[in-house]
Amino acid sequence: MAAEDRKWKCWQCNQELVKQQVLFTYLGHTFSHDLPTCPKCRRVFIPKELADGAIAEVEEQLEDK
Amino acid sequence: MVKLEEYRLEDSTSLTAKCFHGEPASCSFACPFQLDVRGFLRRASEGKWKRAYKTYRTATVFPVIVSTLCDQPCQNRCQRTLLGDEAIAIREIEKACIKYTKNRKPQAYAIPPKPEKIAVVGAGVAGLSCALNLAEKNYQVTVFEKEDTWGGILRDHPDFPAFDEDIKLQFSAVDVDFKFKHKINSLTELADFAAVYIATGAGGDDFGLLSSWNDEVFTTAKDKIFLGGMLAGLTLMESIAQGNLLSKIIEGYLQTGRASLGYDVYDKNYCGHYLEHEDAVSQPRVIAASPEGYTEEEAKQEAARCLFCDCDKCLTQCEMLKRFKKNPHIIAVEAYNDTKANPPYSTRSLTRQTYSCNLCGYCKSICPEGIDIGAVLRLSRRARMSAGIHPAALQDFWLREMDFATSTGAYISAPKGKETCEYAFFPGCQLGAAAPENVLQAYAYLAQNYDTGIMLTCCGAPAYWAGDDERLDNNLEKIKQDWTALGKPTLIFACATCETLFKQFLPETKTVSLYELLAQDDQLTPAQPFAEGAVFDPCNARGNEDMQHSVRILAQKAGITITELKDKNRCCGYGGLIRLANPSLYDEITQNRAKASEKPYIVYCVNCREVFTSRDKDAVHILDMVFGTGKNRKVPTLLEKRENSLEVKKALMAEISGTSFTPEKQPWDDLTLLIDDELQKEMEAKLISAGELKEAIWQAETTGAKFYDESDNMCLTYMVKPVITYWVQYREVGPQTYQVYSAYYHRIRIKEEG
Repeated sequence: MAAEDRKWKCWQCNQELVKQQVLFTYLGHTFSHDLPTCPKCRRVFIPKELADGAIAEVEEQLEDK
Repeated sequence: MVKLEEYRLEDSTSLTAKCFHGEPASCSFACPFQLDVRGFLRRASEGKWKRAYKTYRTATVFPVIVSTLCDQPCQNRCQRTLLGDEAIAIREIEKACIKYTKNRKPQAYAIPPKPEKIAVVGAGVAGLSCALNLAEKNYQVTVFEKEDTWGGILRDHPDFPAFDEDIKLQFSAVDVDFKFKHKINSLTELADFAAVYIATGAGGDDFGLLSSWNDEVFTTAKDKIFLGGMLAGLTLMESIAQGNLLSKIIEGYLQTGRASLGYDVYDKNYCGHYLEHEDAVSQPRVIAASPEGYTEEEAKQEAARCLFCDCDKCLTQCEMLKRFKKNPHIIAVEAYNDTKANPPYSTRSLTRQTYSCNLCGYCKSICPEGIDIGAVLRLSRRARMSAGIHPAALQDFWLREMDFATSTGAYISAPKGKETCEYAFFPGCQLGAAAPENVLQAYAYLAQNYDTGIMLTCCGAPAYWAGDDERLDNNLEKIKQDWTALGKPTLIFACATCETLFKQFLPETKTVSLYELLAQDDQLTPAQPFAEGAVFDPCNARGNEDMQHSVRILAQKAGITITELKDKNRCCGYGGLIRLANPSLYDEITQNRAKASEKPYIVYCVNCREVFTSRDKDAVHILDMVFGTGKNRKVPTLLEKRENSLEVKKALMAEISGTSFTPEKQPWDDLTLLIDDELQKEMEAKLISAGELKEAIWQAETTGAKFYDESDNMCLTYMVKPVITYWVQYREVGPQTYQVYSAYYHRIRIKEEG
């Protein structure tokens, strides 16, 4: 089963993840994206496909700036 | 080391100042018109006659006159003659260009009329050339000529009718007031004009001004009066060219009140940049089948004989420079600009390229001027690091490995029972990590034959490559102290990179390569892994003749028939730490090097060996031959490399100091991870060590900071290292044992408080 299709729960808070706006920073830039997050402790889940895909692209663009 | 707090533009531009890429070719230097001969012939060779004609017309003003009468000094500078061929038949191509350009009618430009009136005295070629160029800018030009027509000395030439047509054609789109049969007797007659050009021809009236003539900007003692052409002793061709140039000087004078050369006019005697043309093939001149001159096809063929001389060696032979398509001058300027751009808002233009260079010095080795683009890009790396604007994640992995090798992994000692030594073996950090027995066997051999201590640490190459001056300096200082404490022994290197770095930064150390000592030993007979092979010399062994020669002696002793690579000392891809910054370029380079010969490689850099083995290229390290430890050794995982380094240290400490070494244990070290081959391969390619995953899992399991899927007890967690966030998906399958399902990372940081 693909990681993003799983019903992940936050172990500590025993909460199902909900999509929330998450802030990211890299090389002085800040930006946001909606991602599954623990509603209580706000721990964020970044799936592999996103890390290897869109995030890697953004990283490259920011590194080139 | 020089501090980079005051990084100036000259710091980088001075490194590329001698690059002559893009400069006019030697033929253009010789041309009185500074015609872009190369560009003209390129267009002609493609049959682009209209564009070729435009180039030619802009430079020569009167194409028919010049193509007939120019004595072609460019031919003496044609680099095709270096191959024993005849120079390009430039005149015939010029004539063909005129013939095959369908519409030569000059274009009229809608330029607003200018109020200044300019007088030209004399309607010979010098005066006409100047008058035409000024009229094209829409100045009010009057030409005074004492005879009843134009042409000056050309009027007596048998081809004058054709020249006359040419002049008529060129003046057909401009408005010039020609006053024939109008002799100027005194310059006071021309008081109303804003500028006057005296071009009365050889022996003509100079109005007493020739003696005060300035031969650079063509002024005279009288304000606003210019003089030139054959009156000043120039040839016919020079007179046309000068008229063209003078039109620009006069325009500048009218705008600023000063006569000056607004742009560089190059020294016609300066034709020093001849190229080697190693791959050029001799080609005879194309002979026209008809006395009427070249057909279109013949002209194209003859133009294509041009070598289009422009140095682009580095730009065509280095994969990195080829990919980024920027010439050395641009790189130098952008390297500086990038550090001055105001972060984070300005777009930097050279970042990816800066971190895509192997810093291998290959460009320098093939450049006729010895220009090292790597030096510019390393300067850029240093400046970015110093300014805190470097993309740290691109090189963080290697810097952490260096820190490990210079701390936990380091071991410095004189030989058993001694305080100092004559020699010290400096194996480098990667040899023991990749092949621990190579270090141990080499040390055992050296200890038996020489008074040899050990300096097991990293030379600092990762910091050098990353441009991290502080880390590099601190490490060099520590090495210097340790070396001094050992009695300043001669250092024995197994790694060409270490030796190169020492020669640059610790020149006081005396060095020798391990391979040189091994090659001197007549008792040694290295094992023969294959009958024929090519020696792949590492980039840092360039110029290190002793090292290169010694490896060949060892290979010959093994009975191997050696094939030499066409291109030696090219970087395998590892240098400069480009793997994360530009994975596809890294892949291209490693592939090209692996393909450089069909023969298996004999290598003497452990990084080269790793690159080739990872690409399934048959490669053996010379030490594996010397000590008979086999070929095609498996590349250890990143975690195994660290473990290997510690094993080397442990064994050496036991051997030399008689002490046992127990590295500080981390609580996660005892975890067992089950990782399948495919995932392991992916992790290695991305430089994700199982050690990081162990730590992440241990943290998740001890703090509970993880996600889980209760349907099958799958867990997922992440761990933030300084500049990289590692993720691991796993499941417990036994006591302290975890099956890993995926591992990945990102460089962006999750803003926790978000």
